Amino acid sequence: MALSGMRGLSVFISDIRNCQNKEQERLRVDKELGNVRTRFKNEKGLTPYEKKKYVWKMLYIYMLGYDVDFGHMEAVSLISAPKYPEKQVGYIVTACLLNENHDFLRIAINTVRNDIIGRNETFQCLALTMVGNIGGREFAESLAPDVQKLLISSSYRPLVRKKAALCLLRLYRKNPDVVNVDGWADRMAQLLDERDLGVLTSSMSLLVALVSNHYDAYWSCLPKCVKILERLARNQDIPQEYTYYGIPSPWLQVRTMRALQYFPTVEDPNTRRSLFEVLQRILMGTDVVKNVNKNNASHAVLFEALALVMHLDAEKEMMSQCVALLGKFIAVREPNIRYLGLENMTRMLMVTDVQDIIKRHQAQIITSLKDPDISIRRRALDLLYGMCDVSNAKDIVEELLQYLSTADFAMREELSLKAAILAEKFAPDLSWYVDVILQLIDKAGDFVSDDIWFRVVQFVTNNEDLQPYAAAKAREYLDKPAIHETMVKVSAYIIGEFGHLLARRPGCSPKELFSVIHEKLPAVTTSTVPILLSTYAKIFMHTQPPDQELQNQIWSIFNKYESCIDVEIQQRAAEYLALSRRGAALVDILAEMPKFPERQSALIKKAEDTEVDTAEQSAIKLRAQQQTSSALVVTDQRPANGTPPVNQLGLVKMPSMSSNADHNSTDQGSSQENGTLSQVDPQAPAADILGDLLGPLAIEGPPTTAGEPQQNVIPGLGGDPDAVDASAIVPVGEEQNSVQPIGNIAERFHALCLKDSGVLYEDPNIQIGIKAEWRLHQGCFVLFLGNKNTSPLVSVQAIILPPSHLKMELSLVPDTIPPRAQVQCPLEVVNLRPSRDVAVLDFSYKFGNNMVNVKLRLPAVLNKFLQPIPVSAEEFFPQWRSLSGPPLKLQEVVRGVKPMPLVEMANLLNSFRLMVCPALDPNPNNLVASTTFYSESTRAMLCLVRIETDPADRTQLRMTVASGDPSLTLELKEFIKEQLVIMPTARAPGPVPPAPPVAQPTSPVSALTDPGAMLAGLL
Amino acid sequence: MPVAASAIYFLNLRGDVLINRLYRDDVGGNMVDAFRTHIMQTKELGTCPVRQIGGCSFFYMRISNVYIVIVVSSNANVACAFKFVVEAVALFKSYFGGAFDEDAIRNNFVLIYELLDEIMDFGYPQNLSPEILKLYITQEGVRSPFSSKPTDKPVPNATLQVTGAVGWRREGLVYKKNEVFLDIVESVNLLMSSKGSVLRCDVTGKVLMKCFLSGMPDLKLGLNDKIGLEKESQLKSRPTKSGKTIELDDVTFHQCVNLTRFNSEKTVSFVPPDGEFELMKYRITEGVNLPFRVLPTIKELGRTRIEVNVKVKSVFGAKMFALGVVIKIPVPKQTAKTSFQVTSGRAKYNAAIDCLVWKIRKFPGQTEPTLSAEVELISTMTEKKSWTRPPIQMEFQVPMFTASGLRVRFLKVWEKSGYNTVEWVRYITKAGSYEIRC
Repeated sequence: MALSGMRGLSVFISDIRNCQNKEQERLRVDKELGNVRTRFKNEKGLTPYEKKKYVWKMLYIYMLGYDVDFGHMEAVSLISAPKYPEKQVGYIVTACLLNENHDFLRIAINTVRNDIIGRNETFQCLALTMVGNIGGREFAESLAPDVQKLLISSSYRPLVRKKAALCLLRLYRKNPDVVNVDGWADRMAQLLDERDLGVLTSSMSLLVALVSNHYDAYWSCLPKCVKILERLARNQDIPQEYTYYGIPSPWLQVRTMRALQYFPTVEDPNTRRSLFEVLQRILMGTDVVKNVNKNNASHAVLFEALALVMHLDAEKEMMSQCVALLGKFIAVREPNIRYLGLENMTRMLMVTDVQDIIKRHQAQIITSLKDPDISIRRRALDLLYGMCDVSNAKDIVEELLQYLSTADFAMREELSLKAAILAEKFAPDLSWYVDVILQLIDKAGDFVSDDIWFRVVQFVTNNEDLQPYAAAKAREYLDKPAIHETMVKVSAYIIGEFGHLLARRPGCSPKELFSVIHEKLPAVTTSTVPILLSTYAKIFMHTQPPDQELQNQIWSIFNKYESCIDVEIQQRAAEYLALSRRGAALVDILAEMPKFPERQSALIKKAEDTEVDTAEQSAIKLRAQQQTSSALVVTDQRPANGTPPVNQLGLVKMPSMSSNADHNSTDQGSSQENGTLSQVDPQAPAADILGDLLGPLAIEGPPTTAGEPQQNVIPGLGGDPDAVDASAIVPVGEEQNSVQPIGNIAERFHALCLKDSGVLYEDPNIQIGIKAEWRLHQGCFVLFLGNKNTSPLVSVQAIILPPSHLKMELSLVPDTIPPRAQVQCPLEVVNLRPSRDVAVLDFSYKFGNNMVNVKLRLPAVLNKFLQPIPVSAEEFFPQWRSLSGPPLKLQEVVRGVKPMPLVEMANLLNSFRLMVCPALDPNPNNLVASTTFYSESTRAMLCLVRIETDPADRTQLRMTVASGDPSLTLELKEFIKEQLVIMPTARAPGPVPPAPPVAQPTSPVSALTDPGAMLAGLL
Repeated sequence: MPVAASAIYFLNLRGDVLINRLYRDDVGGNMVDAFRTHIMQTKELGTCPVRQIGGCSFFYMRISNVYIVIVVSSNANVACAFKFVVEAVALFKSYFGGAFDEDAIRNNFVLIYELLDEIMDFGYPQNLSPEILKLYITQEGVRSPFSSKPTDKPVPNATLQVTGAVGWRREGLVYKKNEVFLDIVESVNLLMSSKGSVLRCDVTGKVLMKCFLSGMPDLKLGLNDKIGLEKESQLKSRPTKSGKTIELDDVTFHQCVNLTRFNSEKTVSFVPPDGEFELMKYRITEGVNLPFRVLPTIKELGRTRIEVNVKVKSVFGAKMFALGVVIKIPVPKQTAKTSFQVTSGRAKYNAAIDCLVWKIRKFPGQTEPTLSAEVELISTMTEKKSWTRPPIQMEFQVPMFTASGLRVRFLKVWEKSGYNTVEWVRYITKAGSYEIRC
């Protein structure tokens, strides 16, 4: 380089290199900086040579990591030097030392511009490189037109135009406005007609960046890209220097195919045909050869072509050809190729329905699981995990289990997690699932995280049929001489809970169970001891009639642990001892655990987290991820063993207490839900929403064995699976930037007032689902905050603004939601007294630089604290009469009611948990309903409602509400009135039935005497 | 006694381990790598001598071009550890003949290993006295049993030596000429405001002795300190002579000083070890005679010029003189050009430490040399941070001057045989951290 002439510089560099340690180096650098400062300050000025030398030194010092905060002026002034060596230093040092916000750059802009529009090619190249490297707004604004001119005009040499294209690309990345000029798309298209491959490659890079943001404007480029591909594929007129190992410019091929992937489809049939011809040619023409470089190049092209094929949703034939090719790859000895083959197969799996074809290679993939190279084993594991479905789950999981005992330690945890998930997801029957997990714990106990065995316990607790089987299995494992501690935990828990179900079997008397578990006690750690103590307590409780000897044994153990140093153990021992002395009361306290609330499998969540880490941000991957989830839905829906298709939403378990009353409304609500999803939501990945809602059902097992069929199959929803399918295959576009809520918030709120789970709020970044359970005056919400993006949401805040009558406690909301993850935040609600006020959730988060803040009403409304009770005529009338007159009984004439048939109104009331009691009122136009209201102040309070409609005028009715509490009466009356007047807009009013005979108001006298009603009537 | 060290490492400035010794196995051998990566190669080096990384504490100090690092994993006595390092370095110096640096360590691997084995046991410091160790750990090679007859020298008995009544002195020493050297070395620490008012000032002093005396002599030292003089005036029941008395704080004696006699009679009497040792240490905070006064004026003229005027006045006797005076006047980092005018000595700009360095080799008392300098700064890109104006630092040595005013009144030697002795007394005052704000 030009350094050879500068002795001072090379001496300095060799001095630095000879330094023994950092301190010496620092001293030398400080000395040199002092020297440079003195030189620059010299009044006499420097010769260009000296200036160049000292500026090089500055750059060297800067590169060593020291602060250089002077001399920028000198560097910038070198740019305008006439000779190349000085100019070069000036450009390089300026590009290194200054960033785009430096004021000094303004001084330079003019010089740079002169160089760019000048006719000296070397200077042009230097200037373009510097502009590209700094690329700030000011440069972009003042220089972009010149750079564009360079690129377009054909009078410059390709060298300059290449640089100009790349410079423009850099400027565009910093500041997308630079190409927002009219007709740029046309010029871009013209550029693609270029014959010189170098310019073409650079322009293609620019095009890739452009179309990745907006492909709309560049449709005209698409056929040109295809033409370029054709030219390359046919090897027409490709100069020798652009042929790499016989492959015509692989870089350009890859770029072009990448650009094509940003266009959603190729519509023109001719173009499409020729594109497929080219792809076909690439697929056919690629093979594994000896030469590594050639392999690399041709495979790069091939894999990009594969990605394009997947993107274009080519015909099945081509797909199978791809898979066949990949199948060839994974059979090759060369590990790199095998790795690529497996990886791309995994990708293919995500995109299209080639599973059946891939399954043919299952044996080969399983062999790869035993490859000496761990990265290949991991790929194979991923692929197996991805290709697993109901049909081959059993084989694959068994294969994984077998492999587990020989697998690498680094992989075991992942392996066991994946096996557990697959077993959970695709279990043909639940006992198989239990078998698999127990085997898993047996074989790789160290690598089985707590989540896995928690899950088994949840399962077994929630499925009664499974309990005896699980208990028997656990008993079997306990017989083994040395078992893992996790196994001790899970078996002890299951035996404790369900051991009594085995009582008849040999070797399963309480005493025997106790002794076999107690054998394990000395060997376990403190975390297991509490579980064992609980087990003892439960065994003791189930021992009927009480066994004196067993009792003494267990008591002595409790006695011993009562003074244990571990607080948890000590407390349990003390409490169990005290409880067990109480005798019969024990049975109530230590009764079987209640069923667990349904929740998303922690395992699947965990697996999702790990997957996101490795996610690359390229377009194809994004697409693939979005489609993964839809693929998942599809596999879930696939009818197993020939059962009819089942609406997935129906699988969401309703809390049992409300299931009867809510039946109809659930029906409507869910169909509405589906409707909204498929209508308003073409942008966001609809499958995600389903995925979230479907979260809880992952543990339900296959539809055939799930407990209650009436919950699964909801009549009248035949069209819905189609809707789901339709939404799953809606083309997925780019994510929107503006944060607009998806769907109507108010509508969602009203829907949630009637049902207990659903989506509360959604925008392109986040989805807030809600799930509620109500018990008397208490309730529990779970907020599901789901991040839909591949980047985390930060500064997440949720503040509850409760009205005075509700006591609400929100558990901690995490500050960040990791990418594509869902967090659950339980929220406890206690109703203190009747009121119609609504709690508000003030929710905010930050995405990128946007702060998003929404205020959402929470559906903790009055009717949630109602409990419908049927009332017979004998009960009703005495009550009705005893509650006479205001303020306990209020009457009002409501006008402006939304007209609806009586049946629908009855349904509406039912959905508010006001139980309509038919035939209580002799007049068929009247409705009588009863319910119980729960709050802390009123306790359980019976409420009675009577609605008298006028068949002639459906817009008005008279309503009488009675209860034992004046405020409750008032609030309930107002509430019903609100609901009748303001109906959820989504409901289409049914056809109005023919008017029934005119009804006489039953108690006109009371209406007149009732001042409240009179007032209401006047208003 | 608490543990002082689990391991000790000697590293050069690049971070290579020169030599190390693990005393306890509660630290791993690779902990020093943590020191290298987390302390040596960061800017924190030199900010705090005690650092904790990964459950281990690192105590380190730099001596010439060697870092001595002590690693402990338990709650150790830090002061004890540092004292140990200081003493060990003194010991090595006395073995190597003065210098302690990377080369000295490389040349004496075997000896250092031997010494390291001896001076610490399982993390507890042992005997570090050079006089005694030299009896047992010598650099003589192994003598072949066949080459010559065994030496007549009695094999020294270490236990007897260490546990005897006068553990620090061997019996039966004979010198032709009986001499005693006594040095009083003081270092002055000062922080002065730019106006000339003293913000912080103290003197730490040492009394160093070198004895070449036969037999078991008994020595008695008299100083012009307050306790001694008061005692004397009581004893002799007559007023003390004119002249000021010095109040010493924090006096520490060598173990040879008979403390019971000091308590009862207030005299420093002792049987000295053979050779060099530090008899006592003290500190004074009141009534310090400052040897130099510095009057700086530093003016910033605009953004790129600074005018520096420094006047230094020596306030000790005109007949005395200071040696090796160095005055370091800090200037901003972006200094480009300097020009000086000095009335004595030489000045130049040192870019490596960002200071003007003014050196005066011989500085007579009661004189007042001045420096005036003009400094030009280069303009920088970054927002001009206001210059922090670090203090001016000064180094010097003034022989035959004590900043405390301490004087030796008498040094008596008494021995059974009653030989004559020659006593030599020297005084010297050095700069500790002598800083003047500007």
